[in-house]
Amino acid sequence: MELQQGIFVLMGLAMIVAAILAMYVKDLVSSIIAVGVVSLFASILYLLLQAPDVAMTEAAIGAGLSTLIFLYALHKTKDAEEEND
Amino acid sequence: MDKLPEIILHISTYFVSAGIILATLRLIKGPTMADRAVALDTFTVISISLIVLIACIAGRVIFLDVGMVYAILSFIGVVAVARYIEGGL
Repeated sequence: MELQQGIFVLMGLAMIVAAILAMYVKDLVSSIIAVGVVSLFASILYLLLQAPDVAMTEAAIGAGLSTLIFLYALHKTKDAEEEND
Repeated sequence: MDKLPEIILHISTYFVSAGIILATLRLIKGPTMADRAVALDTFTVISISLIVLIACIAGRVIFLDVGMVYAILSFIGVVAVARYIEGGL
């Protein structure tokens, strides 16, 4: 039981660090990566709270699809800005 | 002899925690976006091992399915980031 509490505190601290980094970092790709890290640790926290189906959904949507869609949108918008210049 | 698996689980959890701390330092420091992509890849590998460790500690088999789904989908995420840095996507 003590071991799970240690993992819990470590996951929470890493989530806070990655969320602050996602706000204050300069380029947008690093910010998207930090958001993916936050979603990753949220998935492990759901797993520790005895909710494996929620953890599986968070891993599929948050860490997999969300990163892909954000990167695709960033690629598209950057192309449009270069065309306008 | 019943204490031995517990000791092994404790020691491997400490190693995984040290890996998470070191990868967090790389995520904070990393000057370029490639360093942060490598940090994300390290996080996924460490997280898969942590999910398997939690499955061993809690003694539930359903947690291994979560680890498997996460291993497949996080690979897609890391490949997408690498493809974006290369210039394709």
